[in-house]
Amino acid sequence: MIYLQILANGLALGGLYACIAVGFSLVWGVLNVINLLHGSMIVLGSYIALFAYTTFGIHPFLTVPIAGGIVFALTYALQRGIINRVIAAPVLMTLTLTFGLDLIFNNAMLTAFKADYRKLILENPLGSWSFSGVTLPVDRIAAMALAMLLTLMLFRLLKDSRIGRAIVAVRMDRDAAALMGVDVMKINAITFGIGGFMAGAAGCLLSIIFPISPLNSTVYLGKSFVVCVLGGLGSVPGAIVGGLALGIIESFGAFFLGPEHAVTLAFSLLIVFLIVRPTGLLGKKGYE
Amino acid sequence: MTIQKVILAALGAAALSFATMGSAAAADGVIKVGAPLPLTGPLSPEGLKQKQGYDIWAETVNAKGGIKAGGDTYKVEIVYVDYASNTPKAVQSADRLISQDKVNFLFSPFGSGAAKAAGGVSEKYGIPTIAATASSEAVYNQGYKYLFGTFTPNRTLTEPLADIVLGKKPGLKRVAILSRNDLFPTALAKEMAKSAEKRGLDIVMSEKYAIGTMDHSSTVTQLKASNPEWVFATGYINDLILIRKQMKDLGVGAEVVTMIAGPAYQEFIDASGPLAENITSSAWWHPAVRYKGDDVFGTTENFNKLFEAKYGAAADYVQASAAAAGVILQLAIEAAGTVEPAKVRDAIAALDTTTFYGPIKFGDTGQITSLEPPTFQIQGSKPMVVYPDGIKQADINFGVK
Repeated sequence: MIYLQILANGLALGGLYACIAVGFSLVWGVLNVINLLHGSMIVLGSYIALFAYTTFGIHPFLTVPIAGGIVFALTYALQRGIINRVIAAPVLMTLTLTFGLDLIFNNAMLTAFKADYRKLILENPLGSWSFSGVTLPVDRIAAMALAMLLTLMLFRLLKDSRIGRAIVAVRMDRDAAALMGVDVMKINAITFGIGGFMAGAAGCLLSIIFPISPLNSTVYLGKSFVVCVLGGLGSVPGAIVGGLALGIIESFGAFFLGPEHAVTLAFSLLIVFLIVRPTGLLGKKGYE
Repeated sequence: MTIQKVILAALGAAALSFATMGSAAAADGVIKVGAPLPLTGPLSPEGLKQKQGYDIWAETVNAKGGIKAGGDTYKVEIVYVDYASNTPKAVQSADRLISQDKVNFLFSPFGSGAAKAAGGVSEKYGIPTIAATASSEAVYNQGYKYLFGTFTPNRTLTEPLADIVLGKKPGLKRVAILSRNDLFPTALAKEMAKSAEKRGLDIVMSEKYAIGTMDHSSTVTQLKASNPEWVFATGYINDLILIRKQMKDLGVGAEVVTMIAGPAYQEFIDASGPLAENITSSAWWHPAVRYKGDDVFGTTENFNKLFEAKYGAAADYVQASAAAAGVILQLAIEAAGTVEPAKVRDAIAALDTTTFYGPIKFGDTGQITSLEPPTFQIQGSKPMVVYPDGIKQADINFGVK
């Protein structure tokens, strides 16, 4: 029975990992930009949820579109104004640029919000479900379900909308897309903005689960990396599969090897994947 | 008046003003104390607390005219270096402060690990150094002559806890220990295991979790399966907030849940809300202690008052210990009557006094031996002292759900 509980823990955690990573994966896959701002954007989403709840009493789940929208606007502007200038440069250039932007942004949050760990405590905690010996915290399940819903919407957006097709076209061949009349610069900014939206939304959902502090951004960023490499870049289902895989691996790893080795296991796996299957579980060749 | 007399008078006046200038310069002497701190990065909440403690000491001393040593008076200046939570950089910063900034004294970087690493630097230069946040004995057993610490060894936290828990619940048997894989948290967990074994308790689970762990659900699931009566978890504030939340999520309770370090901070209580209720903890100092001393703060009440006025919040043990480091340095300089490092070092070693922080006396290794750390429990969202009896505010409650 304890294995079932460990599996349930892993799935719930994996859902959160998928939610953390999907925006990061999209930006990396489409723009070939490793967006080191991603973790800080998630944290910003958490703070928006925290302040919306403590000041206006808005439930964090309802803040998702607001926080997503704010972070969308911010990341869209950053991409249009700054990152687009070096978007064609080698990946190291954009990596350095987003690293610098993240330093500025994260320290601005440290100054504005302080480094203290805070927590969004719901007036009526959601509690846990228990059946046949397996206990599931409702907040995790609800956050995971909402994250999956958002991810599904993103998936449909990429599949069915004109903008979505344009994003996919840019991912496949930037030059050909431009020749077909796609405004690549605009699509870049929209993609970056959507990545930001997903980060802000994830931050909202995580605000009721994890302590909130600007210091968490590196942890979120680290998880995003692993999930992307496991699942495959730029693919929405890849982020979900990678997230769930990482959640389950860490969960069983902590159980069998002890919690001090769970993270070691995840990163060892990352290295193995980079050697053996650099495209990830669901990644396609030629996109990277 | 002849021309010679005028010149003589002028010379005399000049000489006089020169002499006064000279004594003014002595009166305006400055003692520089170097303080490498993690002001950014993961340890910054702790680093900033330490800075608050040093600042309030320096400010209070300077407002009262400075430190008197022999016939001279010195203002205090604290030279901060941010080492961004990166221990190797803490050691470089300590070296730079001594060799380039020419500080007279040093306050150690945060925590046992960094204080131990930087201890070698101050030893090399013979600069008296006070560690405000290092408790592990491994920091002080290196034979260093210039390193002093304001925290008693870790067992002084676990021993009273075990005494009072078992005093009230003699039948309690099953203890689970969970610790962050870091110098202080694991050292503390080892002391807890010793305290438990000494009293014939069964350790039903003992695990370490990695630094930066984002999820404890597997560990908490194992904790549930081990069915403990006493859960003892060590780590820093974010770890402990998360562990407590996940215990609730997965329905794990116990008679006693002890968490160190974190519950001593108001942030832990704010961030855990109702889940903080009945959590027990220990710290080296608590605002409820009451001491009268000869130091610049005089009494614990006065320190609390000044601190609240400056920062708008109650002081916790990190801030108090940092201020105490300053107080100790000041008392030693005044006793030595000089700022000469070797003499100040001997004066620190010879201190035997009481301050707002508590009685001050150092053992042979340089670690303080005179403190009696209070044990407390969160009751009604407030930390209430349950031990020692002299300052007790409440009786210990059992049952954490």
